[in-house]
Amino acid sequence: MEEGGVNVIDLTQADESFVKELEALGADELRECIQCGKCGATCPMALAGLEFFIKRIVHAANLGLRDILLEDSSVWGCQSCNRCVEICPMDIKPYEVIQAIRRAAMKVESCPANTYEGLRNLYRFGHAVYPKGYEERRKKVGLPDKPPTVISNDEMRKKFQEILRNTILEEIAPFPLD
Amino acid sequence: MPKIGVYVCHCGENIAGAVNIEEVMNYAKTLPDVVLVKNYLFMCSDPGQDIIKQDIKEGKVDRVVVAACTPRTHEPIFRDALESAGLNRYFLEMANIRDQDSWAHWHDKSGATEKAKRLIRSAVAKVTFAEPLEDRYGDMEKSVMVIGGGVAGMFAALDLANMGLKVYLVERQPSIGGMMIKLDKTFPTMDCSACILTPKMVEVAQHPNIELINYAEVDAVKGYVGNFEITVKKKARYIDWDKCTGCGVCTQICPARVPNEYNYNMDQRRAAYIEFPQAVPKKAVIDRPNCLYFKSMEKTGKPACQICEKGIPPKGIQGCPADAIKFDDKDEYINLKVGSVIITTGYKVMDKSHFKEYSPHSKDVVTAMEFERILSATGPTEGELKRPSDGTKPKTIAMISCVGSRDERYHSYCSKVCCMYMLKHARILKEKYPDIKLYLFFIDVRTAGKDFEEFYVYTRELGVKVIRGGRVSSVDVKPNGKLRVRGFDVDLCSPVELEADMVVLATAIEPATGTEELGRLFAATCGREGFLREVHTKLYPVETASKGVFLAGCVQGPKDIPESIAQSRAAASAAAALVIPGKIKFEAIIAEVDREKCSSCGVCVPLCPYGAIKLQEYKGKEKAYIEPALCAGCGVCASACPSMAITFHGFTTEQILAQIDALAEA
Ligand SMILES: Cc1cc2nc3c(=O)[nH]c(=O)nc-3n(C[C@H](O)[C@H](O)[C@H](O)COP(=O)(O)OP(=O)(O)OC[C@H]3O[C@@H](n4cnc5c(N)ncnc54)[C@H](O)[C@@H]3O)c2cc1C
Ligand code: SF4
Ligand code: SF4
Ligand code: SF4
Ligand code: SF4
Repeated sequence: MEEGGVNVIDLTQADESFVKELEALGADELRECIQCGKCGATCPMALAGLEFFIKRIVHAANLGLRDILLEDSSVWGCQSCNRCVEICPMDIKPYEVIQAIRRAAMKVESCPANTYEGLRNLYRFGHAVYPKGYEERRKKVGLPDKPPTVISNDEMRKKFQEILRNTILEEIAPFPLD
Repeated sequence: MPKIGVYVCHCGENIAGAVNIEEVMNYAKTLPDVVLVKNYLFMCSDPGQDIIKQDIKEGKVDRVVVAACTPRTHEPIFRDALESAGLNRYFLEMANIRDQDSWAHWHDKSGATEKAKRLIRSAVAKVTFAEPLEDRYGDMEKSVMVIGGGVAGMFAALDLANMGLKVYLVERQPSIGGMMIKLDKTFPTMDCSACILTPKMVEVAQHPNIELINYAEVDAVKGYVGNFEITVKKKARYIDWDKCTGCGVCTQICPARVPNEYNYNMDQRRAAYIEFPQAVPKKAVIDRPNCLYFKSMEKTGKPACQICEKGIPPKGIQGCPADAIKFDDKDEYINLKVGSVIITTGYKVMDKSHFKEYSPHSKDVVTAMEFERILSATGPTEGELKRPSDGTKPKTIAMISCVGSRDERYHSYCSKVCCMYMLKHARILKEKYPDIKLYLFFIDVRTAGKDFEEFYVYTRELGVKVIRGGRVSSVDVKPNGKLRVRGFDVDLCSPVELEADMVVLATAIEPATGTEELGRLFAATCGREGFLREVHTKLYPVETASKGVFLAGCVQGPKDIPESIAQSRAAASAAAALVIPGKIKFEAIIAEVDREKCSSCGVCVPLCPYGAIKLQEYKGKEKAYIEPALCAGCGVCASACPSMAITFHGFTTEQILAQIDALAEA
């Protein structure tokens, strides 16, 4: 970016290998996006006012704007609602583009801190979201203190962790997998 | 005394729903000379017409007023009915009590009924003074001239020739082929342009019914539909085409080098040249202003060069082996008679020099048509992709859409084919050089055509980058020789910039040079943008304002090859339908000058939109004469003539005044 053009996006920096990486990470229909904007009109990220909502993310991904996508935290704001997947006329599966970018970001440790928190929780308890004191609240409403998931089954939890250790998490987790 | 019959139509409920038919009928019976009044549900139906025919045959009526709908659609039907019953077909008048009355005043029934009475009264008044008129027929020359030998002209010529008609195909350039022969591949099917067009060019040249007149232009036009007398100027070629074998010797030994306009000056040709390798006919011409022989003859009277003719004997170089060089060749004028004409003179593309914001001085900024030549195997680089400035292979190319189109400063219209050929260029490049980076800047992508959107998506899959909302604001040459392209990306919602090695401008399609002048020779009019205008966009898409003159292809407006061909074959069939019967019917409703009354003022002459009036000698004086074949029956002249010398048959002054009086009567 020259001449102090802070708001100018320099397409010369775009990197086709990033497009190929995303395709390999699951965004395999990416290039067929016709920029129709239908996904952007339904995306909760857009409704919440995030700067990079789904349509812009797909386009930036298509252009290979690696730095912009990895520096911006928007992809982590995706609610995984999959509305975009349901309505995209070109069957791009925009949510898969988000996932692919997240995967790429994880590889280079370019994600917000709370992402790691969630990941650690997922590994430890089988739940990405693990609010403190939830057992008490469950009891109050007459539920068993733990839900019937791996969190309440030590044996299954160990198996679950074993599965996770067999994924790319083994390589990239910034916390010990014990 | 005329015996007028009035026939009132209900048009189902269309008229009867608002007009009180009985009241109107009773009124009509009171009008002068009306001998009977009848009504029917649908007058235009067979039984409806039979009522009228019966009354005529039985001698009850000899003038007919049909109070019904519009004469625009129904007058011919009722005229036929009169004629078949033995009455002159022009003893008919229609009162339009539907479109002009019941429909317009649906909620005012008594008003509508009153108006119907007036309209019928005026029709009765007019038909009282009707005169018997005869349709006339003229001879039709059974031949057609096609002007412009591009793809549109070639297909029109072939269709007409295959129908057995004599065709003269007049082409301005030394070879036929037009713009299409310059293209590399063609969307949407990506056929190689030369491969599909060359055989057609040969077919045109060899067809026994087609007389190819190349390197020629229409010089003057006389006559009118059925009998055009056209003077064609064949430009001096300075090479005898009867002898020239197209061997190309002169084009190699001629020492005078000049920029080659066929390749948009990106390479050179000689003063003696063959337009392009697959030219049809494959004949050479000498470009006089650049030929050393003519230059020196004009200056010193002595020839400085005759190499093409005599060779360079000391070096053992032979001149033209066919002895075809003909320095004393002259322009030649030939006169041809044809019944009809099809104009297919195509288009040209805008030059880059208009667009200062895009650094037109840079060799690496080229128009799309120039790029087409760069991609072509017969182009200046023999199809190799090279940066014009330094011959290196470009790694990044930016293409800019709508340059000069959709721009009030140049052309407000969309040039229609550029979105598609930009994608085509991208596809050709990506298929050849997968690693090349291509940025296509569009305002929006317009791919309205069969298989076009699929073409677009396929091109995207190749990794071509599409920037929308992105008409580039500037292209600057950077100190390192690269081009900085600045645009806006509406999808990123951000200004963007790019360093490119080459920039391709999709410049607008414009009418070919001389379109307006050519149109004027035939009294065919052009629209605001200078393209020839069709009479009606929907109903008469291939006819011009001039009877017997048709149009096809880009001369009418930007279009692609499939559309150009479709239109040209439509024009061929319209021309054939006119010419083949060998006779032409002239309207009876036309204007006629009473030369005894004509004061020779000439005001009518320039007023006629169809060029039908001229001053002609009559009893020693110049008097107006209206050519019946050309008069379209508009009536302008009759209303303007200060001497009341012009009779407009079917609408005589007497008739019109009677009609106005009847309408105005309380
Ligand atoms: C860069 C570019 C790429 C394109 N690519 C494609 C493509 O891939 N696919 C596609 O479908 N379309 C394409 N087109 C459009 C295509 O070129 C036109 O549709 C087609 O050439 C129109 O044919 P035409 O016969 O109407 O006109 P032209 O090809 O222009 O032919 C007109 C002929 O008339 C002659 N002439 C002109 N004036 C006179 C005169 N006064 N007297 C005698 N002769 C005269 C000319 O010399 C010429 O030979 C492209 C256009 C451009 C600009
Ligand atoms: S809905 Fe699909 S095609 Fe449309 S912009 Fe979103 S990803 Fe692209
Ligand atoms: S006379 Fe000389 S300059 Fe002229 S065409 Fe022949 S070779 Fe070329
Ligand atoms: S065809 Fe496309 S590039 Fe050409 S003027 Fe129209 S919109 Fe612009
Ligand atoms: S009626 Fe119209 S077309 Fe006929 S000569 Fe008069 S002005 Fe021309």
